[in-house]
Amino acid sequence: MPDVSMVVNGEARSGDVEGRTLLVDFLREGLGLTGTHVGCDTSQCGACVVHVDGQAVKSCTIFALEADRAEVTTIEGIAGPDGSLSPMQKSFRDHHGLQCGFCTPGMVMTALKLLENNAKPSEAEVREGLKGNFCRCTGYQNIVRTILAASGQDIPVTSVE
Amino acid sequence: MSYYAPTSLGDVWPLLAEGEARVVAGGTDLFPTQGDGPPPSALLDISRVDGLRGIDHDDDGWRIGGATTWSDIVAAPLPPAFDGLKAAALQVGSVQIQNVGTLAGNLCNASPAADGVPPLLTLEAEVALTSAGGTRRLTLTNFLRGVRQTALVPGELLTALHIPRQPTGALSSFVKLGSRRYLVISIAMVAAQIWLDEAGRIGGVRVAVGACSPVARRLFGLEQSLIGLRPSDLVSFSMASDALDTLSPIDDVRGSAEYRRAAVERLIRDALGQAVERSDG
Repeated sequence: MPDVSMVVNGEARSGDVEGRTLLVDFLREGLGLTGTHVGCDTSQCGACVVHVDGQAVKSCTIFALEADRAEVTTIEGIAGPDGSLSPMQKSFRDHHGLQCGFCTPGMVMTALKLLENNAKPSEAEVREGLKGNFCRCTGYQNIVRTILAASGQDIPVTSVE
Repeated sequence: MSYYAPTSLGDVWPLLAEGEARVVAGGTDLFPTQGDGPPPSALLDISRVDGLRGIDHDDDGWRIGGATTWSDIVAAPLPPAFDGLKAAALQVGSVQIQNVGTLAGNLCNASPAADGVPPLLTLEAEVALTSAGGTRRLTLTNFLRGVRQTALVPGELLTALHIPRQPTGALSSFVKLGSRRYLVISIAMVAAQIWLDEAGRIGGVRVAVGACSPVARRLFGLEQSLIGLRPSDLVSFSMASDALDTLSPIDDVRGSAEYRRAAVERLIRDALGQAVERSDG
């Protein structure tokens, strides 16, 4: 079986994979990085989003060998070395941007790139940027607020009836 | 399954000649169609081939390399004649798909609903098909032969798209109708390009419709009928009863033929309106 090697969350990692092994399967089963989730396996839901050479990618939509020699960042690489949450993760917690949490790793990875490419997005731009990430719990409202807050913008107070 | 990722075209030809390998660039069309069936016996990943990715420009026009992604197109500094192509790029899947999937792959996949085709028809793009023996160029119309059928012969690779110089002042747009806003396969789509003459009237128009025939089509008759109109006439011009006769929409899971025919007329007006709106800005 071919060797694959990549830098994952700053560490050189390698392993044997089959040609058909998906990147997400290598990350989860080969490297034990189970923070990256598989929701739909048909490149729609976005639970599997990771960064490959600086771009958000659905890791169920590329083979591990396509990421050979690439720099890969997964959700495990986002918090500080001491486990302290990154500002984006903290914003998800502070603004209740998750309920069951299944989509959250992909949401965080997509949100980070969204703000990297557009530091002060409008609400519409946030919603557009999230079109490849499905959430079946929150109705998206708090995720959008989370990301707007993480960008340092004021967010409207939600009224409670 | 064998997986090959050569870095030079010279290494591609022997692998292609064996005839076993399925060519992929981003692979985004491969995974959903794969389902639970057995994978191809070999994949030839061309995304690492030197010189295949990127957009160049010279006096004759633009060359878009065969491994150029949708995101590359969105980010490229291109004139307004390409606004329709960029709008299409932004509506292919989601950003994570646009980062990996390629325009050339969209063409080779030859879906009637390929979002890249209508804008490229309005740009009068050609494809370069290269093999160990040399390169031939085909118009897009000659390249796309039917549903999932192209003119590629064994041993050939779509190495680039060539887009000629565009009419001065050309503006463009792309309008897609899906069952919802995001992550959908088109029910119908229209790309338009317009340029005005010195009197501010329509000097030329190109209109292409996708997902309403086996291969997307230009509507040459309609185009001719619009020349000389004022931009403000585009909202309400009367469309000839036979303007859409070259289309052959089908009934399928996404919509009926009748619905498509009705929708296309509206989409054409929207696309023309959006293209010409940009002239005021």
